[in-house]
Amino acid sequence: MFTGYQHKKRVHERYKIIGFISSGTYGRVYKAEGKNGRVGEFAIKKFKPDKEGEVQYTGISQSGIREMALCTELSHPHVVHTVEIILEDKSIFIVFEYAEHDLLQIIHHHNSNQRGAIPARTVKSIMHQLLQGLVYLHKSWVLHRDLKPANIMVTSAGKVKIGDLGLARLFYKPLHSLFTGDKVVVTIWYRAPELLLGSRHYTPAIDLWSVGCIFAELLQLRPIFKGEELKADPKSKAVPFQRNQMQKIVEIMGMPIKDRWPLLTSMPEYGHLSSLAAGNPRMRAPQSLEHWYETCLRNNHWPKASSPDSPGPEGLSLLQQLLEYDPQKRITAEKALLHPYFSIHGKPLESCFEESKIKYPVRTVSQDNEIRSSSLPGTKRSGIDDHSMGRPVKRLKQDG
Amino acid sequence: MAASYWDSTQKKFWTFTKPQLQLVRQKLEESDRNIVSLYPLPDRRYLSIYFYHQLSKMARPLGIRQQALATAQVYVRRFYTRVEIRRTNPALLLATALYVACKMEECPQHIRMILGEARHCWADTSFTDVTIIGECEFTLISELDSQLIVHHPYRSLTELQNQFQLTQEENSLAWSIINDHYLTDLPLLHAPHVIAITAMFLAVVLKPTQGGMQGSAAGLTAAMQTLGNARNATGGAHIRVQKLVDWLAESQVDIEAVVECTQELISLYEVWESYSDKACKDQIAKFVKARGMDTRRE
Ligand SMILES: Nc1ncnc2c1ncn2[C@@H]1O[C@H](COP(=O)(O)OP(=O)(O)OP(=O)(O)O)[C@@H](O)[C@H]1O
Repeated sequence: MFTGYQHKKRVHERYKIIGFISSGTYGRVYKAEGKNGRVGEFAIKKFKPDKEGEVQYTGISQSGIREMALCTELSHPHVVHTVEIILEDKSIFIVFEYAEHDLLQIIHHHNSNQRGAIPARTVKSIMHQLLQGLVYLHKSWVLHRDLKPANIMVTSAGKVKIGDLGLARLFYKPLHSLFTGDKVVVTIWYRAPELLLGSRHYTPAIDLWSVGCIFAELLQLRPIFKGEELKADPKSKAVPFQRNQMQKIVEIMGMPIKDRWPLLTSMPEYGHLSSLAAGNPRMRAPQSLEHWYETCLRNNHWPKASSPDSPGPEGLSLLQQLLEYDPQKRITAEKALLHPYFSIHGKPLESCFEESKIKYPVRTVSQDNEIRSSSLPGTKRSGIDDHSMGRPVKRLKQDG
Repeated sequence: MAASYWDSTQKKFWTFTKPQLQLVRQKLEESDRNIVSLYPLPDRRYLSIYFYHQLSKMARPLGIRQQALATAQVYVRRFYTRVEIRRTNPALLLATALYVACKMEECPQHIRMILGEARHCWADTSFTDVTIIGECEFTLISELDSQLIVHHPYRSLTELQNQFQLTQEENSLAWSIINDHYLTDLPLLHAPHVIAITAMFLAVVLKPTQGGMQGSAAGLTAAMQTLGNARNATGGAHIRVQKLVDWLAESQVDIEAVVECTQELISLYEVWESYSDKACKDQIAKFVKARGMDTRRE
């Protein structure tokens, strides 16, 4: 190794790049085909280098290391499968199984040209598969932390797979809180109320809140709590109280109360909550989730009563348990799978496209089939992005 | 034990039987017979002790946690089942393993800090700039097949501690026995909960002594006898120990494995007495220097 790093495999020997799919926060994703006996389609994610055009080894970011480790470790039918990781030319490539669709795209498709609601059976199948993937993650001590429609992949065979483990982390490390200066990058619309109120602890319950938001969005085709994000002060880096997001939640769900959420008053940002209500009539007369749900059923021409062709009253009950303010009372992924919503009219479909006539458009792939070494300007994933290094030096201590 | 260990890459790819491990290493040495015979090395356990000292030296000023050190030690041990040690510069590998382990164990350190400590601790002129650690990181991760999640016995010990109401002393003795097991091949041979049970058992049977475990091989032999009793489920021991022995006998735990771990630890404590820092340092320096000269000649 002291003659330098020697790659064992090369991307171009194994895959033919067909085109460019997307540029996310952390990398560029390409569509590829197998080569030299390797069959099938793949999505290859190339991590962005630190600086544009970086051609040096400067150390892999912590989130990059986490993503590589988790992708290698995890394997489940409802989690996007990682085929291999290739380290080549100072770059990191993660090769995934290819997914033709994702939930964002599916929601978009129904939104355009007044196509109307996603079939109730499709929604149920999606939720059922999504929760199975989440049960697996949580059993493996992994918090996803960034569940949102864009990160939920759907294959052309109608299999739902949780993707993008870029923010995921293990939560059994009991030592210090999982918060430790983590840059909060999780999309705000899916962020759990305890995080908005400054909780320092990430628990599996935060993923279940996101699942609730996704469920609502599948039903209504719009994010249920579409708040405006306040940017952190670039100087102090302090995370501001996301007033508008909290407001959107309260407008539908009503104010959280201590009776239902005993630890509410000990939340760091609890003080901000009362000021929300002041002078805002909608806060004092919230819509209520029942009302939101009824309107949604009516708009989608879904029967109110229990029926295989409607999310029905069971859907509301599940949604209420997912969007429960108190994280300790919020339903777990395991319990959610046992909810009557998934059993009352027989087993949910194994493929979410079964019995549906809708043809979803395939992923757009642009003809940029060179894997560029430079990244687009903007976000970066630096060696030490999500922890501040200015922490006081602690003594070497025994902990586990 | 978390369900995740059973389908982990640690269990699938990095746990060996003794003969398997021996074979892996034998193959590695055979493919490099020349340098292997040119540069004899001390007992692997001595090298491990030396590596641990060097890792601690780098870690201490940075306040790096014990668990990150443990993870780094496991990375190094796994790496050297894939790459012949004499082809490497152990100083660089140790610094890099520590750098990666800190990220995995959620206590990241800037690459520049690691470089600084490595330079300080090895007085090695090859630590010129961060890119050499950055490049070695690629080598390390690639050899480890990106399998960076390590399951440690510490977590199982925490569970056992509650179950058996270990005293403070017993717990910290068990803890230090776990720390010591990274100096042996045990992390490549047994599941973390087996190690934790062994550590707890030894701590309870031996009773904490001031000098720690080193030199208490005699006590350990007594412990072996108690374990023998567990196999035959006959009593005779102290009530507290008896309770443990009964639990062991009834549990699904593989007692043979616990015995094996105990033996491994006994022999570690025995050889430790004649450990010499300097011998390790000198013998490593020999092949590192020689290789350096080779490169210059090319
Ligand atoms: N397995 C896959 N098959 C097909 N397309 C994929 C796959 N994985 C990711 N993509 C596409 O690439 C996009 C970015 O991927 P991903 O979310 O993993 O990257 P990211 O940089 O972490 O993005 P984000 O900014 O959302 O965190 C996805 O939104 C999706 O459109």
